[in-house]
Amino acid sequence: MNVIETRNLHKHFDELHVLKGIDTAIAEGEVVVVIGPSGSGKSTFLRCLNFLEIPDEGSEILLDGEPIDPARDNLDKVRERMGMVFQHFHLFPHKNVLDNITIAPENVKGVPRKQAKAAARELLEKVGLPDKEKAWPSQLSGGQKQRVAIARALAMDPEIMLFDEVTSALDPELVAEVLQVMQDLAAGGMTMVVVTHEMGFAREVADRVVMMDDGLIIEEGTPDRIFSEPAEERTQAFLGQVLHA
Amino acid sequence: MLESLWVVLDMHFHGFLRATGVTLQLTFVSLVLAVVIGLIFAFLKLSRNPVANLLSHAYIGIVRGTPLIVLLMFLYFGISSIVVLSSFWAGSFALAIHAGAYVAEIFRGAIQSIDHGQHEAARSLGMARRTSMRLIILPQAFRRAIPPLGNQFIIGLKDSSLVAFLGVSELYSSAMTAAAANFRPFETYLIAGLYYLVLVLIFTVLVNQLEIKLSPDRRTAT
Ligand SMILES: Nc1ncnc2c1ncn2[C@@H]1O[C@H](COP(=O)(O)OP(=O)(O)O)[C@@H](O)[C@H]1O
Ligand SMILES: [Mg+2]
Repeated sequence: MNVIETRNLHKHFDELHVLKGIDTAIAEGEVVVVIGPSGSGKSTFLRCLNFLEIPDEGSEILLDGEPIDPARDNLDKVRERMGMVFQHFHLFPHKNVLDNITIAPENVKGVPRKQAKAAARELLEKVGLPDKEKAWPSQLSGGQKQRVAIARALAMDPEIMLFDEVTSALDPELVAEVLQVMQDLAAGGMTMVVVTHEMGFAREVADRVVMMDDGLIIEEGTPDRIFSEPAEERTQAFLGQVLHA
Repeated sequence: MLESLWVVLDMHFHGFLRATGVTLQLTFVSLVLAVVIGLIFAFLKLSRNPVANLLSHAYIGIVRGTPLIVLLMFLYFGISSIVVLSSFWAGSFALAIHAGAYVAEIFRGAIQSIDHGQHEAARSLGMARRTSMRLIILPQAFRRAIPPLGNQFIIGLKDSSLVAFLGVSELYSSAMTAAAANFRPFETYLIAGLYYLVLVLIFTVLVNQLEIKLSPDRRTAT
């Protein structure tokens, strides 16, 4: 069963043609790592999946096999089913850690406060921050912020998690703790689309690596295959740059 | 001189205090209204509806381009054939309409200054646009608006002295009356100035307290 499928996904920003026909499907429990040079459209692709950007007319996105029509369907309901984690965290600075996690379940799903808090505490345990529930975002390190952001997204009990370069803004020594949480999540069976330059993570955790360039998927395959024998010259060049950086 | 200051203060202390009450009422009523007006017009200006936009631009433009005293006179004398307002309410409305335009700009600026990522994070969690505005954007914008709002409120407090020209017995009007009667304008206006100064200082402290109260993350963790 595919959680998400895109057919002929295009996206323009005015004249700029950013996505040029993406066809892909992500199966339940699958971990897909998206790689590719800066500006190739990786973020836009993720943001189209949860309709933070509205795809061009004629594009199709299916969630659990159901086509989503942005003009008709309630996109808020659609987004409830997908979690997203951003490069720059975007924690809510006026809420403490616990309330960052409970605010959406309480106000979007109407989960009672007590229940939302209990669930949030469980999630904080899961991301390794059980003692931080009263802390303010400004008091956390980057790695801790990102783990709270992951817990916040998980609190909505999503069917799929989208990660957009979530370790790119972190100091090098804080990257591992975030990747570990993501790896645990993958091991727990979560369906994930992960844009990242962390090739070690891709190698170990991904079921499939997707290489994007210039708004298209130019090749995809198992991490072993992509990393040891990339078919496309542009993939080879890109991996050469990233691995030897 | 110090002695005569004391005499004048003794003479008018209570009268000025009563008048200060009226000044505070004018200020309070007009600023509460100004916040409501300001919020409404901030949203109109941020809205994508061109009519709403135009309305907001026109209102802010007109208020900015006309002196408050003209608006005061207009509401009290100018429209008296249509609606008759008491001098207190004409004054309050004029102050509110005047300050509302500046408050609208303060709110608009504060809302726009919130990182767009906040809104996107809220939307990605399934929050509707309104929910995101109410729970995520506005609380942060309010906090950011407090220093400029405090400033605007101080201006409003001082502007309320113009309502004296409608015959409301607020602080400035009492000072004028007193000075005319006691032939001591130097001492009388000096004292009236001190009353305003003390009010502004108290107000400044209150605003600072409010800012600290609304910034829990900037206090140390407990
Ligand atoms: N909101 C936007 N408005 C205009 N252009 C955009 C917007 N978002 C992205 N772009 C452009 O789309 C292209 C792809 O961007 P992005 O999806 O962020 O690439 P990547 O994540 O792979 O670096 C870039 O040229 C970028 O400048
Ligand atoms: Mg990107």
